[in-house]
Amino acid sequence: MKEITLQMQELARELLQKGEVNVVLGWEKGTFWYLSPPAFVDKPEDVERLVYDDYCHHNLSKYLMDYRYQEGKVAVFLKGCDSRAFNILLEDNQLEREKYVLIGIPCPGMKDQEKAKEFGVNGDIPLAKKCQECKYPNPLVYDYFLGDKKAADEAAATKEAKAKEYSDVEQMEKMTSDEKYDFWSSQYERCIRCYACRNVCPACNCRECIFDQSRTGWIGKANNASENQFFALTRAMHVAGRCIECGECERACPMHIPIMLLNKKLIKDINELFGEYDAGVKVDGVLPLGHFDKNDPEEFM
Amino acid sequence: MSVKETSSNWEPKILVFACNWCTYAGADLAGLSRLQYPPNIRILRVPCSGRVNPQFVLRAFQRGVDGVLVAGCHPGDCHYVTGNYFTRRRFLLMQRLLEYVGLDPERFQARWISGSEGPKFQEVVTKLTEDIKALGPNRKLRDAQ
Ligand code: SF4
Ligand code: SF4
Ligand code: SF4
Repeated sequence: MKEITLQMQELARELLQKGEVNVVLGWEKGTFWYLSPPAFVDKPEDVERLVYDDYCHHNLSKYLMDYRYQEGKVAVFLKGCDSRAFNILLEDNQLEREKYVLIGIPCPGMKDQEKAKEFGVNGDIPLAKKCQECKYPNPLVYDYFLGDKKAADEAAATKEAKAKEYSDVEQMEKMTSDEKYDFWSSQYERCIRCYACRNVCPACNCRECIFDQSRTGWIGKANNASENQFFALTRAMHVAGRCIECGECERACPMHIPIMLLNKKLIKDINELFGEYDAGVKVDGVLPLGHFDKNDPEEFM
Repeated sequence: MSVKETSSNWEPKILVFACNWCTYAGADLAGLSRLQYPPNIRILRVPCSGRVNPQFVLRAFQRGVDGVLVAGCHPGDCHYVTGNYFTRRRFLLMQRLLEYVGLDPERFQARWISGSEGPKFQEVVTKLTEDIKALGPNRKLRDAQ
């Protein structure tokens, strides 16, 4: 990854020096060794800040929304999941492809930040859960590709062959309805409705989110399990079919609510009901809840 | 639900989202034909079953209904041609999601009832009321229980 970091810096310097882009979005070292927050580099002399290491979790595609009405181009580094996020933003007509210079980088998987905190710098830190289950570690859309494409493709093929992992969802499904309800209520009782999960999510790209429309009163101001679950279930339904499994919502949640357990349930059901589908892999205007098939399962007669 | 309500006189409250073109006409026909059905349902007319979004259903449960029925034209008969196909996808998913978070699956139903199916309307709401009576009051997802 050292080598990729150097390549990243070199390419970023070149793009900035030539004036092809106004800013490069990447990652830099944060306050702690297990944090690599986003970096916004707009001067060639600053490119040394850029890094690529085991903690570059942040999905940079979402930040491109901030540049969509600005003049000039923006360069961005994309891991596999970031590229799916970029595709979803294209699909939702939020971004123009030509405005962005995409620099794809293969992803070996990012390490679990919570475990890193716990085990320390010399500990044996496992990959984050979403990375263990990741099917598309390589960028699906890019203008430049850093690193060894062939080796990366081979590594990805072994991952893709792996069946989708839903054991946690299945375990949940086996509980009785009261157990399920108690589980989810106790989770969402803790939600502080900071909306970090929404803000970080590439599928949550509405100009005005319904949870910000205070006059229509979709959601009450009270913070209780009922309102919080209304928020959680509504958001889950809104991103259904567009969630690209980047796991950013869960990582960003300060209360450690297992948001992916909701998202994965919807992904599992979409696959079962309407056929195999991975969001953000293709940009073809066909979203699971945005179209239909006359032969869809019929359970409502 | 009134605070005075006790378990002995509890009656379920059921919200029916009925599409203007089919199910609402079906309910009308049931009435005109003097078909008896339980008074526990409250009908809310919507232009199309596709107008019902997940928030409507969740909000109903929050505010104290014991069951929700979304009803519209049969697939292929939608006044807007394809609205109910989207409804079908959306609520197939949502029904499973509600079950997943612990709601009794009987409490959320969707049905296709056409304008000529007065008897079917009667049958569906009668059955739904009986099922929900058997389950008892819904406390889940309720706001300020
Ligand atoms: S990030 Fe967590 S605490 Fe914040 S609104 Fe989302 S679920 Fe609630
Ligand atoms: S819901 Fe979570 S996992 Fe899905 S796209 Fe949004 S942030 Fe990523
Ligand atoms: S929660 Fe729903 S309305 Fe809000 S940004 Fe996400 S998709 Fe849009």
